[in-house]
Amino acid sequence: MSARPITTVKTIVTGIEEAGADIKLFTLADPDRWELPPFKPGAHIDLHLPNGLVRTYSLCNEPADNTRYVIAVKREADGRGGSRALHDDVGVGDIIGVSLPRGGLAPDARIGRYMFVAGGIGVTPFLSVVRHLQRTAQAEFTLHLVAREEVPLAAHLGSLIEAGTVVVHRTSRAGRPDLAELVGDPDPETLVACCGPEGMTEDFERLTTAWPTANVHIERFVAPPPIIDPDAKPFTLSLARSGTEIQVRAGQTMLAALQEGGIDIATSCCGGICGACKVGWIEGRPVHRDRILSPYERERYLMVCVAGSDAERLVLDL
Amino acid sequence: MLDIVSAGSAQKTAQLGWTGVVRFLHLAPRAFLPMRAAETITLVAGKGIEGDRYMIGKEEGFYSHKPEEGRQVTLFELETLIALKRDAGIELGPEEHRRNVTVEGVPLNHLVGRRFWLGDTLLEATRLSVPCRHIEEITGKAIFDPLINRSGLNCRILQGGIVRVGDTVRNAA
Repeated sequence: MSARPITTVKTIVTGIEEAGADIKLFTLADPDRWELPPFKPGAHIDLHLPNGLVRTYSLCNEPADNTRYVIAVKREADGRGGSRALHDDVGVGDIIGVSLPRGGLAPDARIGRYMFVAGGIGVTPFLSVVRHLQRTAQAEFTLHLVAREEVPLAAHLGSLIEAGTVVVHRTSRAGRPDLAELVGDPDPETLVACCGPEGMTEDFERLTTAWPTANVHIERFVAPPPIIDPDAKPFTLSLARSGTEIQVRAGQTMLAALQEGGIDIATSCCGGICGACKVGWIEGRPVHRDRILSPYERERYLMVCVAGSDAERLVLDL
Repeated sequence: MLDIVSAGSAQKTAQLGWTGVVRFLHLAPRAFLPMRAAETITLVAGKGIEGDRYMIGKEEGFYSHKPEEGRQVTLFELETLIALKRDAGIELGPEEHRRNVTVEGVPLNHLVGRRFWLGDTLLEATRLSVPCRHIEEITGKAIFDPLINRSGLNCRILQGGIVRVGDTVRNAA
């Protein structure tokens, strides 16, 4: 029995390929090569690295290739440590826990044309998308790849470059492409997307202000903050018995904050109906949201999986 | 009230009359992985399903940190999938509910505490399954609420064997 719940998909590193320009491609698979949880084109996963870091990478293979997760990682010597850990410490055969895939482009029958702009390693979120579009032939697409000189993942883009669906812009030779020209006029049947350095995504955002928001997608290297209920506020949990305090971030569940703080809480449904995580509360103004406690019980108990706090501080009998 | 019902003056015993059939079989070796369809599965008495994440001793399921002897095999009603479509407009496939055996014509909610035959294997129903947010995370479908009180059945395996799609499910006297 494992003492803690399994929270990640267990994968094994089955391949590491040098792809030039300080980029390595890592292939992750289930230890028995079982199908992995499905993903949408352009989706990303979190890798829980052996050194405790959690880092997000785009999936580069296409969704139909469902027994592998392929990620491209550029070694950033001055980065925050995730890419160095992967490049320097991770080998074939290592086990890495990953999250369920998130994000990506949902199929949209109204879109007949896709135009992507990528700066350097910012090409990674579009690799699975263009492969998917190429295979399904559901819409036209062009990927404009802006690179100083060396084209990232060139070997993996060769046939698409030859076919003209990937257009390379080398800034060392021809300068920067005219983003305004690439974006063009708003068109409800076109989806435009950009991933690259901050300057590029800012320009892109400015150039697409007249576009319908559903037709514009911008992906930044640094993940945007999660979408949080605008009414959600952070609060402090004070644990009366253990004498510790735990901060609950806006939008975070009390349960997740307690677990992050190393507090072991029994859980099951995580939706406020099973009662496994019932905890006594002593002081504060809990917001209950469960569907099983009676008004009388709510005066003394709450369900940490769904409950919130209407005050800055909530004292629990833990 | 339950005492009154069971000691009713007419002294009639309500018999649960049903015979069902195994429609789909699914398993997965680890938490989060897609369930894979199988034509047959092998039940091991007192343990679980060969190759499944909740087999006792394997412990690779999402809830394996909470051991439960009565979770060796789980069942789900095909009728619930039909009702989800009809009442909530949600299409949920038999590979998505994450229970092992999808049956038709078996009143699962009535079987808690009873024994019944699944093909040639003998099961004892231990408790109703409860829906969990985990399944919404995996499927991306809002099925938590519609599955309350019809989320399947957890069973212990009393007599193991091979279960096949198409096998009969029937009460054990």
